[in-house]
Amino acid sequence: MKIPRLLLFVILVAISYFIFKAPGIFLKQPIPSSLIVMYMFFAVVTILLWMTSTEEGMQGLVGPIKAMIEDPSKKTLRNIVFLIVPLLAGGITYMQLRPTYEAPVELRSIHPAPPSTVKVFGKTFNLMTLENPYRKVEKEDPAKFAQLVKEGGEVYFKNCFYCHGDKLDGRGHYAHGFNPLPANFTDIGTIAQLQESFLFWRIATGGPGLPKEGAPWISAMPIWENFLTEDEVWKVILFLYNYTGYVPRSWAK
Amino acid sequence: MKRKLLLPVVLSLIISAQAIAAQGNKENGKAIYDKKCWWCHGEKGGGDGPAAKFLNPPPRDFTAGWYKFKTTPFDEITPADADIFRMISGGMNHVSIWRGMSGTSMPNWGDVLKEQERLDLVAYIKSLSGLEQPQKPSIDYKNQVKSSKESIEKGKEIFKKMCTECHGEEGKGDGTKKLKDDLGFRTWPRNFTKPWTFRVNNDPKEIYTRISNGIPGTQMPSFADPSSKKTLSDEERWHVANYVASLGNDVKKAKDDTVLKAIRLIGELPDKIDDPKWNEAEPTSFWFIPQIIAKERFFTPSLDSITARAFYNDKEISILLEWDDRTKSIPGDEKAKEIAEGDMLEDSVAVQFPVIIPEEMEKPYFGMGDSAKPVNIWQWRSGKKDSPESVKLMNANGFQKIEQRDVAKAGLKATGVYNNGTWRVVMKRALSTEEKDKDTQFVEGKYTPIAFAAWDGSNGESGSKHVMTTWYWLLLKPATSKSTYIIPLIVALIVFGGELLLVRASRK
Repeated sequence: MKIPRLLLFVILVAISYFIFKAPGIFLKQPIPSSLIVMYMFFAVVTILLWMTSTEEGMQGLVGPIKAMIEDPSKKTLRNIVFLIVPLLAGGITYMQLRPTYEAPVELRSIHPAPPSTVKVFGKTFNLMTLENPYRKVEKEDPAKFAQLVKEGGEVYFKNCFYCHGDKLDGRGHYAHGFNPLPANFTDIGTIAQLQESFLFWRIATGGPGLPKEGAPWISAMPIWENFLTEDEVWKVILFLYNYTGYVPRSWAK
Repeated sequence: MKRKLLLPVVLSLIISAQAIAAQGNKENGKAIYDKKCWWCHGEKGGGDGPAAKFLNPPPRDFTAGWYKFKTTPFDEITPADADIFRMISGGMNHVSIWRGMSGTSMPNWGDVLKEQERLDLVAYIKSLSGLEQPQKPSIDYKNQVKSSKESIEKGKEIFKKMCTECHGEEGKGDGTKKLKDDLGFRTWPRNFTKPWTFRVNNDPKEIYTRISNGIPGTQMPSFADPSSKKTLSDEERWHVANYVASLGNDVKKAKDDTVLKAIRLIGELPDKIDDPKWNEAEPTSFWFIPQIIAKERFFTPSLDSITARAFYNDKEISILLEWDDRTKSIPGDEKAKEIAEGDMLEDSVAVQFPVIIPEEMEKPYFGMGDSAKPVNIWQWRSGKKDSPESVKLMNANGFQKIEQRDVAKAGLKATGVYNNGTWRVVMKRALSTEEKDKDTQFVEGKYTPIAFAAWDGSNGESGSKHVMTTWYWLLLKPATSKSTYIIPLIVALIVFGGELLLVRASRK
């Protein structure tokens, strides 16, 4: 069975449109409509080039259209098509021109580059060499380490879980009121990719300590230096890695 | 023959489901509990974990052995295993991204714990108070009265007589009675106009279950208990459930749209709060969260969302703010004091704008601005017994650097009315003012950051203890220009003309 060329053309265009729309439908990450228009332009041109590369293909595509216009027996079909096409053109133009009032897009860097040093707890820390002072206990004294992790957990559940969640998934009971959403520690893209010194910096200086590319004006992360001790910050970092099972990135290698 | 078979099959299915539930392994459950649950519920299940004192409502005390949201009847204290299993699994409510029990900090564990693990937890939790299987089966819904206009009307009549003392005239939980649970914690009746805040959900069956079984440990009684003065027939309970389920008002639920659109009016803006004109403005709702960022942090809010509408003309902008507050707080008023928690303060609401509307992304810090970028704050206060409502105008560079400004000079006005559990406040100001470097200057078509805050004076809220929002947007929506309609028309005509030419050409 041979598919009529005109129908094939329509099907191919529809498939390309669906492919461009799919990320929006399935992943909730839509491609901007202006980009889709551009992609579709290239897709249609490519399909046309391919389909009209032979004389026969050209005939298959243009033939039915020509017949529709010229064949008196297809008058009704012609009238319908001739009515629909201008309406469609007008409709698409209106959709393009119609003003929309969606919120402006705000881009921010989720893990902005840390500064080389940070001044907190009355001291200057070199973030390039800083390590968690408790990390070595993990091997030296597992029982003591478990206790430190538990203490870190208590810090977490007294201070952090409202936003970052019971499950450390960034879905705490107040998370829905914030934009950006709190970090999801169980996501492979957060603490698993970071050094402990990065977490120390992010916790101690909070949202206002972010560089501009991190949009500090909307981060709800408190300046924890004002609430926690240096010790508590290191312990809560131990807890985050222990609970999620991730390993912090190290300096060496 | 077939029909006879069906009943035993269904029964055996139910029994096997219960048998599965009973198969939870206590020891496995304890291991999970010790990793994930004790932080709130306590090492021994006493509801006294490290997080407990920051939570309202408090985490369940498993040693007490009573559970609020159970399906077993009023005279059966033991919940069904499935009831506990359901609370652990969650996923029943939809407050934005929260899938746990609404209005609590209990998340949905269904996404990280396997079914068997949750069953193990049920077994362990029950063992903490020595609970066995319930003697009586869960209530059934075989006589359910389907919701209809008549049923809702009948339910409303019963509600007016029996329920308003605690639940309020319009069911917003703004009753006149101070409620406490058996452990002495303050409890608040649900606001029925916000069904997404129901602990379970607002399916009439769930509501019927609460009415029939009561909520153990609280002052919500069973209306099925024949020994109570408040007994309702089975049918009456369904009517009330249908009425309660009908009260939901989706407008109050915050959606994905973060833009409050001010509608352009020709002529005067509505002056009165109850002007029906306000219905023509587009409502946009936003979630409130307590101020948990700066000292002193606040963890026990009573307000959860705010709905805003706005109009503007060529001179002024007017914003209507509506939020449900169970208590009208008038310091000095004896009746208001009866229901307040601790010292009573004024109710209040505020909106915040950047003084300079940013052209790029960078805004002032959302919590009262920062040293480089000040914010404009308009605050309305409900007034005390001897003093009327008031308006404040502040410029802030962070919460420690606040300048009080002259309200009259800036031309800021605000007035509010409380009715049946809802505050409505209108704020009005000229689009542009004389002090252009101190007041936000509103411009048509420009996206202006806006944030909200509110205080419930009966909940001990004042100063840094309040609820707030992050930055959202206010847009003075321009009237749609005529070309938006004319250009598509011209395009359609041109295409049609092209078609005619094509036909003519083909005929030659």
